[in-house]
Amino acid sequence: MRQRIGLLGLGFMTPALVMVLVFFLIPVVMTAVFGFTNMGTATGISGGEYLLTPKIVKQLEIRGEFDKQSLTALSSNRYQVTEAGLAKAASDGLKSAYIQGLRDSLLGREYSSKRDFERALKKIKDRPRKVRALKKSAEYFSQSILNRRYLTDHEFKTALAATGVQLSATEFDQVLSASYTGWIWTTDNFTNMFSKPDTWVVAFNTLVYVLLVLAFNIGFGLFLALTTFYLPSGQSAFFRAVWLLPRISPPVLYVLLWKWLTWDTGFISTVLGWFGVPAFNYMLGSVGSAWAVVVLINGFVGASLGMILFSSAIQAIPKSILYASEVDGANRWQQVRYIILPQLRWPILFTTSYTTLSLLTSFEYILLSTEGGPGNTTNVWALEAYFTALNNYAGNLKYGYGAAMALVLVTLGVLVSLLYLRLFKFDELVARPKIEN
Amino acid sequence: MSDKNSSNFKSWPVTLILGLFSVPLLVMYLYLFIDTFTNTAPGSLIPNELTFEHWRFLWETEPGTVSIWQVTLNTLIFASVMTLVILSVSLTAGYALSRLNMPFRRFFLAGVLTLHAFPTVTLVIALFIVLQFLGLYNTLIGVIFIKAALMLPFGIWVMKGFYDTVPWEIEMAGVQDGASRFMVWRLLVLPQIKPGLIALGVFSFLEGWSEYLMPQIFAPEADVQVLSVYLASLIADDQKFDFNLFKSIGLFYVLPVIVLYLVFQNKLMNIYGGGSKG
Repeated sequence: MRQRIGLLGLGFMTPALVMVLVFFLIPVVMTAVFGFTNMGTATGISGGEYLLTPKIVKQLEIRGEFDKQSLTALSSNRYQVTEAGLAKAASDGLKSAYIQGLRDSLLGREYSSKRDFERALKKIKDRPRKVRALKKSAEYFSQSILNRRYLTDHEFKTALAATGVQLSATEFDQVLSASYTGWIWTTDNFTNMFSKPDTWVVAFNTLVYVLLVLAFNIGFGLFLALTTFYLPSGQSAFFRAVWLLPRISPPVLYVLLWKWLTWDTGFISTVLGWFGVPAFNYMLGSVGSAWAVVVLINGFVGASLGMILFSSAIQAIPKSILYASEVDGANRWQQVRYIILPQLRWPILFTTSYTTLSLLTSFEYILLSTEGGPGNTTNVWALEAYFTALNNYAGNLKYGYGAAMALVLVTLGVLVSLLYLRLFKFDELVARPKIEN
Repeated sequence: MSDKNSSNFKSWPVTLILGLFSVPLLVMYLYLFIDTFTNTAPGSLIPNELTFEHWRFLWETEPGTVSIWQVTLNTLIFASVMTLVILSVSLTAGYALSRLNMPFRRFFLAGVLTLHAFPTVTLVIALFIVLQFLGLYNTLIGVIFIKAALMLPFGIWVMKGFYDTVPWEIEMAGVQDGASRFMVWRLLVLPQIKPGLIALGVFSFLEGWSEYLMPQIFAPEADVQVLSVYLASLIADDQKFDFNLFKSIGLFYVLPVIVLYLVFQNKLMNIYGGGSKG
């Protein structure tokens, strides 16, 4: 019996477990894995190939660990008419007379520059008429490995060895890793993250953002809960409904309304315009006003959470205590200070810790309003990770670096939510089932 | 306290202060309605003509853009399928956690609670790459499952709460009469939690309907766009800037939310206490 109940329970849990595994546990692990790669739009997410470009040769030269001569040899373009090249040209549909001509007069000859080789080609009788076609046909005989794609590491090594350029083992490896276009394992993301000054700016912004919005949420949520508690019921219902509007509105619409309120063609500028104040974009015009708008946008949404939680906690206080205090001559401020606030300690602690974690990682409202601007001044950690990995104007997305940034938040999130489990008396929540005990 | 206005307290200063703080919100939502039906000269706040031109988007589709009805249909599919997934999965998982004595029960409960507090938005980068691997990027099905899964710990936790309020006696009686635990759940317990099911269903639907970030990241392309992404991309387009149009689309977008909210107000308030937005 007992075992069957256990099986039924596990069966009931299975769909949830599968979804949690696929969409929580695997992504958490993946964030850690991706954080140690240099994945991005440049490398793709599957494998890569080998491609040595003049740019890479230049970069190797700048590193200064290479023999100048071998680098020049690597990048020099040597031409040689070979049977392999001829076969390739034939299979691509070049005229057979031209190929025959090449075989007869040029087979085995070497040219050290493109110009020389093309000059030689122009002497072939059945050469293509168009200059462009002629130049194209020259490429079949290029012996350079520059600008050629090699699918496997083996192919590239063979080609590199075939160039005849003398490279030491370390140089060889360096050329190999520099020309690889796929992603590789690396810890550079983390060293870069902590050495970039921008990171610290963003971290500081995040701290400011969390503290300011948190203070507004808790303080104003408390204010709303207290005032609506003391107001006549019609008024308090009205104000609670008004302050719930930001919470129930879709974020895109809510931020749109803020744009209308704060932009230079918007409400505030229009009203101030009547008094001769020039129009001003408060959302993006200056650092101070941008911060104020960001804090208010988030704060107006967040205040309602405090309002709901604190209101129900205040409702739970026995009325008789409040009446008794009134008989004893306590005014409202004294009631709030000595009766209500002490009762709210626990909801305030809960709301503070819950809000802190969600603010630390949220970026939706900032993304929709200032996008981290003006400049980088209202950019926060989570938004920076999003921009790095998933959306930026340059189009050069760095999944690996973004994942490394997200990993910092994921780690923090796991630790803090485990901490909450301790803090909020988990054991009281897990009373054992009453049947079959 | 409100019914009793005592001598040592006047309520009007409180009303005044609260009113002043509420002005921005009142203005914003008032003009959300006004601006969709009127035109206002620049530099003024009083409308000077009544018009329906801002609602053109309902029957006219500009070439090269998607019809609003297609977008609305996508949003509807997204929100309702997501709700179905959340409901069906948390319906069983919530019961198992609340009532069934199974192995690892404590561990599962701790897991759900931890995940409930865990900031899911940090996972989007990994989910993005996983979705690309699976070839589900830019499909509704991918983003539906992601959003449903990310809301799941919350759904399970709420559902467990509803199951906890069902009296044990009902189940005991069923078991006494010889029904299996499955039959007890199916025939006796499920009817008891119908109100909870409706509340969680409406809440999930509203969350899905309002969601912006997940569809923006995982399904931004035109043919799978939902209303939030559609409206956001219109606003982001500097070429055609028209607050009245945006507000009309916004009002069209938010109307179902307001209607659902007014109908299910009391049921939803319990859930909002659980909080899912910072």
